[in-house]
Amino acid sequence: MSPAPRILLVEDEAGIRRFVRLALEGEGLRVLEATDLRGGIRLTAAQPDLVVLDLGLPDGDGMALIRDLRTWSETPVIVLSARDAEAQKIVALDSGADDYLVKPFGTGELLARVRAQLRRHARDVEEPVVSFGDIRLDRSRRVVERNGAPVPLTPLEYRLLAFMSARADRVLTHRQLLTGVWGPAHDEDIAYLRVFVAGLRRKLESDPAQPRHLLTEIGVGYRFVA
Amino acid sequence: MSEHLDSPGRRYVVAALICAAITLLTAPLHERLAPTNIVMVYLLAVVFVAVRLGRGPAVMAAFSTVAGFDFFYVPPRFAFTVDDAQYLLTFAVMLIVALVIAHLAAGLEHQARMARRRAERVAALYEMSRDLSGAVNVEQMQGIAQRFAMSEFGARAALLVADGQGTVRLAVPAAVTVATDPDLARRCLDHARATGLGTPTSPAASVLYLPLTAATRTRGVLAVEPLDREGLAGLEQRRLLDTCASLLAICLERMHYVEVAQATQLEIESERLRSALLGAISHDLRTPLAALLGLSESLTRAKPPLQGSSGQTAHAIHDAARRMTSSITNLLDMARLQSGPVRLNRQWQPIEEIVGSAVAGARSWLESRCVRVSMPQGLPLVHVDAVLMERVLANLLDNAAKYTPAATAIEIVASADEDAVEVRIDDRGPGLPPGREDAIFRTFERGRAEDAAPGVGLGLALCRAVLRAHGGTIDGRQRPGGGARFTLRLPRGEPPQLDVPAAHAAGTPAAS
Repeated sequence: MSPAPRILLVEDEAGIRRFVRLALEGEGLRVLEATDLRGGIRLTAAQPDLVVLDLGLPDGDGMALIRDLRTWSETPVIVLSARDAEAQKIVALDSGADDYLVKPFGTGELLARVRAQLRRHARDVEEPVVSFGDIRLDRSRRVVERNGAPVPLTPLEYRLLAFMSARADRVLTHRQLLTGVWGPAHDEDIAYLRVFVAGLRRKLESDPAQPRHLLTEIGVGYRFVA
Repeated sequence: MSEHLDSPGRRYVVAALICAAITLLTAPLHERLAPTNIVMVYLLAVVFVAVRLGRGPAVMAAFSTVAGFDFFYVPPRFAFTVDDAQYLLTFAVMLIVALVIAHLAAGLEHQARMARRRAERVAALYEMSRDLSGAVNVEQMQGIAQRFAMSEFGARAALLVADGQGTVRLAVPAAVTVATDPDLARRCLDHARATGLGTPTSPAASVLYLPLTAATRTRGVLAVEPLDREGLAGLEQRRLLDTCASLLAICLERMHYVEVAQATQLEIESERLRSALLGAISHDLRTPLAALLGLSESLTRAKPPLQGSSGQTAHAIHDAARRMTSSITNLLDMARLQSGPVRLNRQWQPIEEIVGSAVAGARSWLESRCVRVSMPQGLPLVHVDAVLMERVLANLLDNAAKYTPAATAIEIVASADEDAVEVRIDDRGPGLPPGREDAIFRTFERGRAEDAAPGVGLGLALCRAVLRAHGGTIDGRQRPGGGARFTLRLPRGEPPQLDVPAAHAAGTPAAS
């Protein structure tokens, strides 16, 4: 059996540190703690399996750690941020963070995100086939089926779905999606993207108004969950 | 020399003296000089008079030299009679030549004087524009205008500035001695045309009003009161005054934009301060709450589970922390909306996305509650701040969850008419207190604190504030058949034209 994954927690508030540690250790994970940016950056050398990072640290912006880490590692990063700081979240995600949690957050939410990121990171080979709900997406054959019957998608809708499914469980900002699917010249056409996602939901979700796979991250972007 | 000979009478006297002096000087030489040369000397005198003293004295000199030549030199001397008739031709030619010279010389002199005057005016205008370019307030402008008017026209000047409500007032009342007429000044401003002295509008007035019209609008009026009523009569003078007025107008406009820039700067500063303050409060309140919420949740999930009343207490703490979090979020949003001009992060988006996200976010406290969402296809995009709109829906869902039986469904229905996109949230709870359907939204308005219903008030007040900030409405009604119905209306506006290719909309197979 492989050793339990190690989580690096960088957070200056003792109360939050304490309950996050309790929650993670309750799941059998090991926790490394840092209370400031410098300590956090130093502990990345211990090669944790995941980083939970508060963006507002006493000695600097957590963003610096993400940029630093991304120069040499793909370790998943979950950032903790304030609710009304959309711009900050977007910058963090564009800099390489994988997910975010808005303070205050619940233990259940935290653990679900941590598990999803660990799982995602452990998958070293992409399977060509992804199944979600009653949909089967075969990326090697470029085919989307519902219960065996083909679902007609336009080439762009297919590309969007393929792009998102290859980055499942990660929050993708509007800009990342637009540049990834449409190209760098289109990174401002957010309304266009929204219309495409709405169309995709109508074709793939059983209740498009309450989607379960193509999730909206309000003000930030989208997340694909299988 | 001409400068010292201002009065016309004196110039004639000087001209006469010159003629007399020439006669006296040439008299002793009369034996030796031929009459032709005497004529030449006289013509020289006429040239001199014309150049130095102007046309009138030159004409007089022309006649008096002809007369003098006749009287003193043409035989018989000392008499105006002439022996030899051919001298009459001499007189005629001499007179004509003298008059032509007088005319030409005086004309030249006049032109030279005008050129000099023009150069002086250009210099004065230049000086004024240089002064104006350094002026930073209307007091300085008033002083500059006054100096210019006095030196160029012998006039007093007053600067009047438009106040934005269509009226003008003296820029610096204390520094002005011009008796301005508010009606005429107003008319000048309204029509952007000169009024008063010498214009078709009230020509008899003692003051001339000139509009100060800059590139964007008329920003004021220049009132000029000449000490001598003829002082502004000439075309040249009016042109100079108009130039002066446009320089002042440009200066006023420049000051206006400096003020605008300063006000904008101030607004940006105060906006920054406000959001920094709110951000700090938000952080300071939320951080301990986040710890409280998380730690209390850890207690509820402790292994082995807490027994008996300890377990219940842990749940109660956690629930209270969750409610407080929601209240603080509402409170801070409300503070942001009410603390000044709101900067919404509005984007065009499908309303279903916001509804879906709000329902997903509310799942944790809606638990297994049935929420039916009905969104017709083809709803127009709405132009909203998604974070705030989601907050509105979250509040309404929260209220519905709190006040209606757990077995009943919550329904969300969207529709669109010509003007607005509408979202209805219906429940089958006890409904709204009769007669207070509107009051429940106003619990936190000033002076209505006595109405405060604990828990609901702030949330609904925030909903209304958010909808208002978007130009929309929210109201609460009794739902037909029982329960409450909240209706949000958002103006449709003009969504951007999205270039979705027709082939795409029709749907083609993915395998391509």
